[in-house]
Amino acid sequence: MTCLRLFLSFMKIGFCSFGGMTMIPVINDEVVRYGWMTPAEVMDIVAVAEMTPGSLGINCATFVGLRTAGVWGALCASFGVMMPSLTLSMAAAHFIFHLKGNKYLESAMRGVRPASLGMLASAAVTLGISTFFPDGQISWNLAVIALICGVILIKGKLSIPKTILIAAVLGLILG
Amino acid sequence: MERCRRLVVIFYVMAKIGLFTFGGGWSIIAQMQSEFVDKKGWLTEEQVMDYMSLAKSFPGVMIINMSVFCGYAMEGVAGGAIAAIGLSAPALAAIAIVTYFYSSLRDNGIVGKILNGVRSVVVPIIVSACLKLKKTAIHGRMAWIILSVVFVICIFTGINKLFIVLAALVAGLILWKGEIEDDVS
Repeated sequence: MTCLRLFLSFMKIGFCSFGGMTMIPVINDEVVRYGWMTPAEVMDIVAVAEMTPGSLGINCATFVGLRTAGVWGALCASFGVMMPSLTLSMAAAHFIFHLKGNKYLESAMRGVRPASLGMLASAAVTLGISTFFPDGQISWNLAVIALICGVILIKGKLSIPKTILIAAVLGLILG
Repeated sequence: MERCRRLVVIFYVMAKIGLFTFGGGWSIIAQMQSEFVDKKGWLTEEQVMDYMSLAKSFPGVMIINMSVFCGYAMEGVAGGAIAAIGLSAPALAAIAIVTYFYSSLRDNGIVGKILNGVRSVVVPIIVSACLKLKKTAIHGRMAWIILSVVFVICIFTGINKLFIVLAALVAGLILWKGEIEDDVS
C-alpha cells in the first residue's frame, strides 16, 4: 500500500515539476503531507542528491522510498518519477522522429536550437556563480580546479568521466 | 540479434553516463554527444540539440526525458525505456549506499573536498558542450540573436522553459517559413 502511494506521489511530483531544484517545493509538500519525512530531512535529501551521481528527482525518490518502504519503496518511487518521461516524452519522440525532414519542423527547430544553446550557456553562468562565488567572494581553489579541468577537457580532449576523476583528485588536494 | 546488441550497448553507455552525472544533469548533454554522436554515430548533432530543448520543456526529470528521446531515436520504445532505466540504475545503487552511511559521510571532510572538486568541473563540462554544439545550432545572424535573447532571459528571470521553447519554435517558423535551403550541414 505504501508502495502504491509512493508511486502515485512521485508520479505527481514528476508531472508537476521541470527537473532540478524546482522539484524541491513539490517534493516537500508531498512527503511532509504523508508524514514520510520532516522538512529538515528534505534538506538532507538535497545534500545526499548532491553527493551522488544522477538527477535530483531520481535521487530523492530513491532516498524517500528507501527510508519509508525499503528497496521496493525505492523502486516504486523512482519508477513513479520516471512516468512523465516514459509517457509524454516517449509520445513526443515518436511524433518528432516520424516528422523528420519536414520543412516546417526543420524551420521551427532552427529557432529552437539556438534557444537551447542559450539555455545551456545560461546554466553554465548561473551554476558558475553559485559554485565559484558561494558567499559573494571568489573561491580561488575551485576556480583553479575548473580552469585546469577546462583546459584538459577542451584542449586536451580527455573524456568526461576521466576529467571528473581528475577533478575529484584535485578537490582532495586543493579543496 | 543486432537489435539486442544495440540495446545492451545503450544500457551500458547510459549507465556509464549515469554514474558520472553530477550537478543537475547538464553535463549529460556533453557526454551523450561524445558517446552517441562522436564515437558511435547513432545520433546526429541536430538530434541531440532538438531533444535537449524538448527534454527541458517537458515535465519530469530533464535527463530522463533526454534519455527517452535519444533512446527512442536509436531503438524505438524499447530503446527509450532501456536508456531511462540504464541512466537511473547507478543513481539507485549509489543512493542506497549513501543513505546507509549518510550521517557518517555528511561530516567527513575528505568526502566534502572530493565533492568540491567534482562540483567545480560541471561548469567547464557545460562550456565544452556549448562549444561543440555551436556549429550545429547557429546558422546566420538571426540564430545569434535568438541565442542572446534566450541567454539574457534565462539569467535574469525564472520563466518556465516551456514558454521559451514555444516562443523559439514560433520564431523559427516565422523566420524561415519552411524555406530551408538544401545545403544545411
